[in-house]
Amino acid sequence: MNSTVASEYSSEVHSTPIEHRFNPYSDNGGTVLGIAGEDFAVLAGDTRQVVGYSINSRYEPKIFNVGDDIVMTANGFAADGAALIDKFKNQLKWYKFDHNGKKLSIKSAARYIQHLLYGKRFFPYYVSTLIAGLDEEGKGAVYSYDPVGSYEKEQCRAGGAAASLIMPFLDNQVNFKNQYVPGTDGKEKRPLRYLSLDEVLQLVKDAFSSATERHIQVGDGLEIFIVTKEGVRVEYYPLKRD
Amino acid sequence: MSDPSSINGGTAVAMVGKDCIAIASDLRLGNQSLGLANNFEKVFQFGDKTFMALTGLASDVITLKETFRLKNNLYNLREEREIEPQTLANLVSSTLYEKRFGPYFIGPIVAGLDSKTSKPFICGFDLIGCIDFAKDFIVSGTATDQLYGMCESLYEPNLEPEDLFETISQALLNAVDRDALSGWGAVVYIVTKDKVVKRTLRTRQD
Amino acid sequence: MPGLSFDNYQRNHFLTTRGYGQPTATSTGTTIVGCKFKGGVVIAADTRATAGPIVADKNCEKLHRLAPKIWCAGAGTAADTEMVTQLIASNLELHSLHQNSQPRVITALTMLKQHLFKYQGHLGAYLIVAGVDPTGAHLLSVQAHGSTDIGQYQSLGSGSLAAMAVLESHWVPDMSKEDAMKLCADAIESGIWNDLGSGSNVDLCVMEVGKDAELYRNHLTPNVRSEKARSYKFARGTTAVLRESIRDILDVEETVITFGSASVDAMEVDA
Repeated sequence: MNSTVASEYSSEVHSTPIEHRFNPYSDNGGTVLGIAGEDFAVLAGDTRQVVGYSINSRYEPKIFNVGDDIVMTANGFAADGAALIDKFKNQLKWYKFDHNGKKLSIKSAARYIQHLLYGKRFFPYYVSTLIAGLDEEGKGAVYSYDPVGSYEKEQCRAGGAAASLIMPFLDNQVNFKNQYVPGTDGKEKRPLRYLSLDEVLQLVKDAFSSATERHIQVGDGLEIFIVTKEGVRVEYYPLKRD
Repeated sequence: MSDPSSINGGTAVAMVGKDCIAIASDLRLGNQSLGLANNFEKVFQFGDKTFMALTGLASDVITLKETFRLKNNLYNLREEREIEPQTLANLVSSTLYEKRFGPYFIGPIVAGLDSKTSKPFICGFDLIGCIDFAKDFIVSGTATDQLYGMCESLYEPNLEPEDLFETISQALLNAVDRDALSGWGAVVYIVTKDKVVKRTLRTRQD
Repeated sequence: MPGLSFDNYQRNHFLTTRGYGQPTATSTGTTIVGCKFKGGVVIAADTRATAGPIVADKNCEKLHRLAPKIWCAGAGTAADTEMVTQLIASNLELHSLHQNSQPRVITALTMLKQHLFKYQGHLGAYLIVAGVDPTGAHLLSVQAHGSTDIGQYQSLGSGSLAAMAVLESHWVPDMSKEDAMKLCADAIESGIWNDLGSGSNVDLCVMEVGKDAELYRNHLTPNVRSEKARSYKFARGTTAVLRESIRDILDVEETVITFGSASVDAMEVDA
């Protein structure tokens, strides 16, 4: 009986074959997050744009006031994101021309963006899209999308490169997940409540400074769009630049 | 996903507090998306105040647990004393690097208190034994990204043992809830100079 | 058994053929530089270690000691730079004991390149080796496949282009020690800001002829995290606990009291 096994070094897979094909997508990093409050909504994103290990820009805004008190971002492949937002802004203009300047509700904007995304079902916009604004009752609203248009109205959502770092933090600090009232032996959940704008801004800043610490594609600057019944306001805070 | 260290799922984390450390893991063992067991602890004890967590491919977790049990027992017999966390860290590193070109698919964490000085010590490793010394926290497993986000925002230095327990538990719980391959229960060890407290947490079961 | 073990190789190769990929080892994405000056040499490194796009260690040590006055900066696979450096440091000490003389930089370099060449590039170690020995100050570098370079200034790692841009524009022959330190620190900083694989702090090591080597751990710390907007300390009892078990660790003290001397022999027991 032969006790040794034949060497398999010769059959080692050295590398995958080189593909000679046009690759239309790239990853421009960055991360975004939206939180809906009782009478406000915020959409925040870092301002760094990267490709590979290089920084394209330390200030390339990716959140836009698209009109009618709706703010929008499409994070992932920057060119697709810009194209999607341009297309939406353009269509919003036509909507106003055709409907005597009627204001587009966020609910309708949300449904329309689904169609923009699904319209490219087999050559998708490579982005995670978020919009924020106020709903018909004046309450804060955040809608989030997958790349082909599946969408949902939510209290909060993180998207982009560091979404997996930020999302559990939001679950914990916005929806109080896994938190119980002390002394109830884990029987009574910590009651939900709307956060104030100041509290939300604190969470957003800490979420981004934490993501900056641990994700190489996040940093440089934090731009926060705040939608209230007074309109849209923008704040900027610097982030670490390494 | 198609990577040996994320077939079975599982996650662990360690943190440093004021004169104490905490080390925790989830309890899930799965085969891809199918959950198999909810009692698969990934934290193991080596001496009174020295602990090791092992995440990754479950077969390697068990193999290495036994390997280190053997090595630890031999160390105890030869030295007639318990192994220090620092020493265990170097033992783990050289054991893993020995398999540089045929590695075990695991991500170990070592945490403990020095037997003489009671100084907290934690560190983590990659699969081939590169040591990551940290002063604050170490994470490992399939919910690594989620844990980095949680720990980086929740952690603050010099927490008392009871506060450290809340922080590490909340970090772990909320992280595993956003990872399909981790969860199904959790254990936390809080190690202080004169006490080791083990707590089993109530968690989501999905 | 000495040396590396290939026990798991066939198993892992089988897993590869079944479509399982390799997990990512931590790599020191890294900017490292070295620069000679009048009467010595200085090397520097950043302190970020990455696993893919995630920062695994914010303050790791990439400056390794090969001998008291020979240091090297490592880029590439973190475990390889660490282990290859420890091995050669050990062999170098044995060698200098055997030769009864100070170890030389060229010896360290030769041992490194022969080791790395033997492994045909599979050890992902990219090193800048520098130091002072009886023949003077030296600055050399070695790549994973075993090729080596000599130069007045060098850079390696993912941030090497950013660093080299600074070195090329500001380097002059026969600099002072302080100028060389500043130049190296500036070059590393260029990598820290402009290369995503590099970040956090600057470590620096100066080796001067006739003096002990000086390690400046965290020479610059331009990336200290600012205070968080709020504390996230939880109220005690927030987490739901199912079971608790406590193990008390007690110090046991033993005092032996001996009685009248008559029965001492009879009472003696083996330890």
